[in-house]
Amino acid sequence: MIPTAVIGIGQTRHAAKRPDVSMPGLVREAALRALEDAGLTFADIDAVVLGKAPDMFEGVVQPELFLAEALGAVGKPMFRVHTAGSVGGSTAVVAAHHVSSGVHKRVLTVAYEKQSESNAMWALSQPFPFLPPVSAGAGGYFAPVIRAYIDRAKAPDHIGWQVAVKDRQHGALNPCAHLQLPDITLEQVKASPLLWDPIRYLETCPSSDGAVAMVLSSDASTCRNPAWVLGTSVRSEPLLFAGRDEVNPRAGQLCGADCYAEAGVTPDQLDCAELYVPFSWYEPMWLENLGLFESGWRAVDAGHTKLGGRLPINPSGGVMCSNPIGASGMLRFAEAARQVRGTADAHQVDGARLAMGHAYGGGSQFFAAWIVGSTRP
Amino acid sequence: MDQPALTSRFTLAYAYKRSLGPVIGAFMTGLRDRRILGARTADGRVIVPARAYDPASGEPTGDLVEVGPSGVIETVSHVAQPSPTDPVQVPFAWALIRLDGADTSFLHVVEGSAEALHRGLRVTARWRAERDGSLRDIEAFVP
Repeated sequence: MIPTAVIGIGQTRHAAKRPDVSMPGLVREAALRALEDAGLTFADIDAVVLGKAPDMFEGVVQPELFLAEALGAVGKPMFRVHTAGSVGGSTAVVAAHHVSSGVHKRVLTVAYEKQSESNAMWALSQPFPFLPPVSAGAGGYFAPVIRAYIDRAKAPDHIGWQVAVKDRQHGALNPCAHLQLPDITLEQVKASPLLWDPIRYLETCPSSDGAVAMVLSSDASTCRNPAWVLGTSVRSEPLLFAGRDEVNPRAGQLCGADCYAEAGVTPDQLDCAELYVPFSWYEPMWLENLGLFESGWRAVDAGHTKLGGRLPINPSGGVMCSNPIGASGMLRFAEAARQVRGTADAHQVDGARLAMGHAYGGGSQFFAAWIVGSTRP
Repeated sequence: MDQPALTSRFTLAYAYKRSLGPVIGAFMTGLRDRRILGARTADGRVIVPARAYDPASGEPTGDLVEVGPSGVIETVSHVAQPSPTDPVQVPFAWALIRLDGADTSFLHVVEGSAEALHRGLRVTARWRAERDGSLRDIEAFVP
């Protein structure tokens, strides 16, 4: 495979509503920032890879065609990736493979969601005949899985509250983060309304408008700090099958294992990770699923996942602070790349050289991850 | 098997909203004020409806330019018997119209029979009395 690097990253400032821009305007904002960071223009790009959550969310079918003009993609190969909430991650992996396979030299990849113009709850809850609807939304779907984790791991209630506070403290260091709650306390989280047992209001992600873009290239000669793609994986499993472990899905385990093997690293070598955590409890769950800690909740409780801890998780504030769904996965991948490029500003992990980006989607059934590093493979 | 197939009724509705941004937003607002706006590209073409980005180059478009309200039919697709959901209830055509001052064609409704409408015919917009900033603010084009 041809060594491939992230040489440009751009994102919008994520917000509840961006009525000032159209969807094309939103994606273009992120794309132009990534190109500027790379010192390139649309003319330098060979192909565009686009990701977003299901078409029903905003009701735009084949949005890659709708957005081609805004992304300078007219007349160029353009590819849409479609893997539910994990899509931002899978899209980055597909873009990396466009380059590492040798097919293209420079690829622009973009992911977005405009939740203020979308109707995610509606899109997920259509009463299709003879099919069980997911009518409680994502929180209602995942709450029993979280309860099962708590029972299995014998985790105390305050772990979820700790993650909710920690991610918002991290997010307060990131000017692009939607939620800015620098003074949030454990007591506030504990006192916030119970939405779906055991998930409290402040333990959930927001609904955001936002986009993120990256330029991936086999030519990093013009970039002083490329983030090299060292390992990638996309794994999935069916939503329902006998014996499925939704607390610790096998597809997620294999996704992490693929990345460690391809990158030739062990989990304890990582300097930080950006994991897809839309509800606070998914941090300890994914820590175990990805083999980052034997006990996820004990790692949280010990402060290992805070900035300054053994393995900072979501130094950007993560999905708990910004959730433009289709972009959320790619934001994890891009923030991992920012860390190893040393460009994460106030949420930089000192001396980060190896970082993981991770995303999941559907009913914990679609997974994507990559490991990026500051050293060329 | 002579049992009837099991069926269930399903109604799908689409309830979306859109932010149009400064260019397409201006185009829609213009319709409310009886103006059809195009956008001028860097190489001097006028694209109608106005678009934020030039499809040919991907570059942002520039000034908004008023075009029409008359133009010439480029192609027609006749509808002899309108259905209740069609925009007008008389024989009409879906037509691509090259509005005066535009370099692209504009899809809209032209009233008239298959005998009356043809390529090259000059037509003019007939505005709706109550306008709210939508493509339906033009009721139809007429010869």
